[in-house]
Amino acid sequence: MKFRCERDVLVETLGTAGRAVSTRSGLPGLSGVQVELVGDQFTVTGSDLDLTITTTIEVSGESDGKAVIPARLAADIVKALSPGAVELSTEDDTLRISAGRSDFSIRLITSDEFPKITDIDAKPVELDAEQLAHALKQVVLAASSDDSRPILTGVLLAAEGDSLRLVATDSYRLAMKDIDGIELLSEGEQVLVPSRALGELHRILANGKSITLRLGEKEASFTVEGVTLTTRLIEGDFPNYRGLVPDHHPNTLTVNRTALLDALRRVKLMAPQEGTPVRIEMNEHGMELVAVTADVGTAREVVESSYVGEDLVVAFNPRFLLEGLEVAPGDDVTLLTTDELKPALIKSVGFDNYLYLLMPVRVS
Amino acid sequence: MNAFFVSVEVRENPELVGLPVVVGGSGPRGVIAAASYEARVFGVRSAMPSSTARRLCPNLLFVDGHYSLYQQVSNRIMSIFMSFTPMVEPLSLDEAFLDVSSAARIHGEPEEIAHKIRSTIYKTESLLSTVGVASSKSVAKLASEAAKPRIVAGQITSGTGIKVVRKPDEQAFLNALPVRALWGVGPKTNTKLERLGLKTVGDIAKLPVEVLCGALGEANGHHLHRLAHGNDDRHVEPERSAKSISHEETFETDVTDPAVLHAEIVRMSDAVASRLRSAKLRARTINVKARYGSFETLIRSKTISAPTSNGVQIAEVAAELFDQVDVASGIRLVGVGVKGLSDQSFDQLSLLDGEDGEVQHNRDDVDEVIDEVRRRFGGTAIGPAAAIKESRTASGFTNRRPVIPE
Repeated sequence: MKFRCERDVLVETLGTAGRAVSTRSGLPGLSGVQVELVGDQFTVTGSDLDLTITTTIEVSGESDGKAVIPARLAADIVKALSPGAVELSTEDDTLRISAGRSDFSIRLITSDEFPKITDIDAKPVELDAEQLAHALKQVVLAASSDDSRPILTGVLLAAEGDSLRLVATDSYRLAMKDIDGIELLSEGEQVLVPSRALGELHRILANGKSITLRLGEKEASFTVEGVTLTTRLIEGDFPNYRGLVPDHHPNTLTVNRTALLDALRRVKLMAPQEGTPVRIEMNEHGMELVAVTADVGTAREVVESSYVGEDLVVAFNPRFLLEGLEVAPGDDVTLLTTDELKPALIKSVGFDNYLYLLMPVRVS
Repeated sequence: MNAFFVSVEVRENPELVGLPVVVGGSGPRGVIAAASYEARVFGVRSAMPSSTARRLCPNLLFVDGHYSLYQQVSNRIMSIFMSFTPMVEPLSLDEAFLDVSSAARIHGEPEEIAHKIRSTIYKTESLLSTVGVASSKSVAKLASEAAKPRIVAGQITSGTGIKVVRKPDEQAFLNALPVRALWGVGPKTNTKLERLGLKTVGDIAKLPVEVLCGALGEANGHHLHRLAHGNDDRHVEPERSAKSISHEETFETDVTDPAVLHAEIVRMSDAVASRLRSAKLRARTINVKARYGSFETLIRSKTISAPTSNGVQIAEVAAELFDQVDVASGIRLVGVGVKGLSDQSFDQLSLLDGEDGEVQHNRDDVDEVIDEVRRRFGGTAIGPAAAIKESRTASGFTNRRPVIPE
């Protein structure tokens, strides 16, 4: 294999594929990325068996070939070279990287240790990249990062009428978004995609306008502008999220989203320790945010709002509340509550396709 | 406090008065935790391997430590300090900084306060203490060292008990001290300084700061330069709440048996959980520490989604973390710790209460019973079965039967 390429293009390609490379895996093959040149098409593949990222770029190729190279080292070398053209070539068990007066020879990794990547045999579906990126930003944050609860580390993709529904929950909050006009799955069909893969997908979505999705039995793949991300699907039953969303709620608070966010960020200063809640006190005059840390101090702020319902004080983890409000669409939001121990629902006024459900903190 | 652990032991066992006594393990891996001045005459020091100590002093008497007693005594001493000023910064069980600058109107000049504290401790606890009085933390600590009893030519010389270093006398006091007296001068720095021919703090004080930085690096050089001139602007910081809780255990011989290590992990997880509950705290991050015979030390940690104070849950995570550690070459020390502490009176409720809520409630109930049993019958009356060793006297549980009240 031998080709020339601009440094910056190569840096990005190695970096993108390298994000799927596991840093902790015991398999030496997985600490490398597979590189392949066919004509002028140069393809880099990184994988940790759960997640695979393949990226293809145009280079000026000289001779075809295929090898597995150390991911981190190669990326660091290319990044450090002076700007301009870089030449990559392989010979026997060595990769040569040269640019200007720099010349590196590094040992290849045995290629038979690299996992076989197979294409997914499924009908491709086109999605709008910006729309999906927006939905991912709103939902992925609610997924759990705790590996001991694998089901909750996934984001549910399900058909809902003529929309695609995305749902994630870490058991403390739940985010749900419907993207209208996408018929990806048949009614009743659903898949569970690891949130880590969707987080990576969100990073590459900025590169394109349109994304091609392929849903297989055990895997799903997403292709944007020469980058394909393939992920294993999570097996198992996602919690019955429909049963979690309360269908009626006696109390309704309506408040400007930005005003509430600003006040919350201020009041949160008095709840610096993880787990210390912020209270929302609601009555006929509207709402007040309160945070108290024993031996430190108290913060209170009245936020202009309207409230219909019983006088109520509910405590929330301020981080969960902030994260939900930050991604909610629109100018005004409603906080729908039942009592201080039941889930509270945040919805945006004028937007029916997003909701954020949040469990309170019980103060004893 | 002077030879604190040993002094408490001697107070409890008057037959030990005047004898070379140490608190510490007498086994092959034992370490001296504290030595009486009579033992120090022989060169025995704290942190010394017990085997070395016994070689220096064949008649050395080993006493088992009673740490909960030391903790109780320490608490009472700290409250004596608190009766003079709330500005108390404990350094260890038997050492604290007090800022008495605003206590003068009530309790008199610093020197007078020093006398009062010392005599109150002696009256209530029959223990001797030493007080250093100065305008900064580092000089005050050095002054208290200077007032302690010491061994001179094989004899115990009782100290002055109180040493006041006034601002104008500060430099003269510092100049005469050996360099290793300064905070932050360990054996390595000491060697470097000796190589430069610097023996006393006065030698350092005379040296241009650039030379010191050249030899010790920027940060350390400036730091020592300041301390050598008595410049220490650190404030006395009253005790803050705990940021982490941990337990660790050094084995008598390196352990390779995963079952033994697992039992130890379970026992320590239970102890950590118990301490969390008694402090009314929960933790989200759990870490394990493993030290090999070569002293190479590994720390692995994991943050769980909901804070816990349950021993079983902490042990599960700790065991999972410990599974990643290769124990084949022999483990000298294991530890379990938690951080990311939060108040247990705040309970983040779960949407999926049916599933993990019930488990949580059951765990809380069990913990409540465990705590109650321990309150009534002592800390070793109940514990996880996995932590019981074949020889129950080795560590952890004792073979003492619980006393059943009538």
